[in-house]
Amino acid sequence: MGFSLYQWADDRLKLKPIEQTLLDEPIPGGASWNYVFGSATLFLFVLQAITGMCLSIYYVPSPDHAYDTVQYIQNDVWFGWFIRGLHHWGASAVILAVGLHMLQVFFDGAYKRPREMMWMVGVVLLLLMLGFGFTGYLLPWDQNAYWATQVGINMAGTTPVIGDFLVRVLRGGDTLGALTLSRFFAIHVIILPAIIMVGIMLHLFILRRVGPAGPHDDARATQHSETFYPRQVYMDAVVMLIVFLIVATLAYAVEFPLADKADPSDHSFIPVPEWYFLFHYQLLKYAPGPLVPYASWALPALFILCLFALPFLDRNPERIPATRPRILGSGLAFLVAVFALLGVSLRDLYAVPKTDPAIANGQALVEKFACKTCHRIHGDGENIAPDLSYVADRRPEREWHIRHFKDPQSVSPGSFMPKFPLTDSQLNDLTSYVLTLKSGGHP
Amino acid sequence: MEVETPVSAQHHESGTSTPVGTRRSFFTRVTAIIASFIGISMAVPILGYVVAPAFHRRKKEWVPVSAIDDLPLHEPQALDYTVTIKDGWHETKSTKGVWAIKHSQDEVTVFSPICPHLGCGFRWDGQDRLFKCPCHGSIYDLKGSVQAGPAPRPLDSLPMKVENGQLMVIYKEFKSGLSEQVEL
Repeated sequence: MGFSLYQWADDRLKLKPIEQTLLDEPIPGGASWNYVFGSATLFLFVLQAITGMCLSIYYVPSPDHAYDTVQYIQNDVWFGWFIRGLHHWGASAVILAVGLHMLQVFFDGAYKRPREMMWMVGVVLLLLMLGFGFTGYLLPWDQNAYWATQVGINMAGTTPVIGDFLVRVLRGGDTLGALTLSRFFAIHVIILPAIIMVGIMLHLFILRRVGPAGPHDDARATQHSETFYPRQVYMDAVVMLIVFLIVATLAYAVEFPLADKADPSDHSFIPVPEWYFLFHYQLLKYAPGPLVPYASWALPALFILCLFALPFLDRNPERIPATRPRILGSGLAFLVAVFALLGVSLRDLYAVPKTDPAIANGQALVEKFACKTCHRIHGDGENIAPDLSYVADRRPEREWHIRHFKDPQSVSPGSFMPKFPLTDSQLNDLTSYVLTLKSGGHP
Repeated sequence: MEVETPVSAQHHESGTSTPVGTRRSFFTRVTAIIASFIGISMAVPILGYVVAPAFHRRKKEWVPVSAIDDLPLHEPQALDYTVTIKDGWHETKSTKGVWAIKHSQDEVTVFSPICPHLGCGFRWDGQDRLFKCPCHGSIYDLKGSVQAGPAPRPLDSLPMKVENGQLMVIYKEFKSGLSEQVEL
């Protein structure tokens, strides 16, 4: 049936020549596991596009609702946690895949003539990917999203002359708020996808016009070649399967909970950027006052510029790695610097257990409102009302505690707990503290 | 990386080779299996994700409307209370009202406040001890039975229970104008 349908369409549309052009592309030197990184990147991009479309079914880009909708996706929609997990881990994976793809091209000297344009379009694609990462990070509208974006935007503000204006444009005004969220949403789901689609097509168009680079020495490349289909396609498929299994396993096994809802008044929150921005985040710690602008924008700008112009900076036509010690050495030096910074940053982050300041505030409120006049917490306090030592085991839902503090009888009829006059932030802090009262966890 | 020459390969004039025979069908088959696996692994969750709300029925919840001790015996009371209505992630508050008549500490009749005739709100006439609808003149007694007027059925009573001294009710609405009760 499938075959005859293809025949039927082929009779009319003459598909055979197109099929041949697509599948019989000669690969110099034959198919190789070295060439899978581009396909893996494209696969992950498609996965991001599909999961992103799914998320947009329920997501609402407004400060009133963004957080609730993401929580709804996470907790209430069938497979919502899985789709969101795929999108979250897929974002990291696609950056990693782009990095490996670039490394392979860099190491093999595949950016050299006649493939300069393919490399340059590739660098633009990298920037677009980072743009996706930056704009997407804000959308869940939790504390981390809000404060990490605040820092990111302020970094753009160190650009000379246009810095302030740039910040106002990014934010859509004076403060990070409703207008920022909606423009980040539009950039993330409409503008960047449209641009990157053109970029990807251009990248592939150039590939097909120039052809793959193949082995380092021309003698071997011309000696023998192999069609793209079926062996390279098979290798690409195997790698896609591995990549998919890794991302799906992470989405399945590693929970990625939301932080608290964004609170613009809580300046004590310490945001952490995504791991692929961490090395730069660490670099900023070493830049003393007057050097900040250089570290925050000049250095990255210079690096991107060098990367973009690489095919013209490296004029050595030779592709064999052994004959290019200087350029490969500088690449290695860059990698060592990046991973050293990343390593130091990760060590710092995990050395100090991150505690939400809300928890400490909440603990102070327990004393302030004399909760222990009735409740006992880990042996301290009176035994009149329920023991709260492990209350989060019984009541893990934040929403329940908020409602309970606001009006105890509404969720626990017959309770004699009084209504305490709590402000919204006190309510949040107290709930954050109460939620730490569980077996295995202590504040 | 060293690339082995395919065992069975078809050579074009240009020096380009392509695997043939069982080798070729092996690559094709593995590729197809992987594509199907990834496709199905994505299609199933996505389908569930998209259709999930279609299977979601709005839950009718028990809502406390009054402390049982606050209700006078045999005297209908109009009780207003607030319910939270969940529409997906969107929560709204809505005020509802019901009529409650306490017969004993755990026996209460609760009536929907909507006249079964054409949906007006009826009132309690304390002097005549009858419910009267001002729109078309339907009249009901304390048990909700029709005493006069065009009403096609008795007043709609709502599910109730008494828990921890609280009167709990499930709010429902019914089609008006029918002789039998049809829930909306």
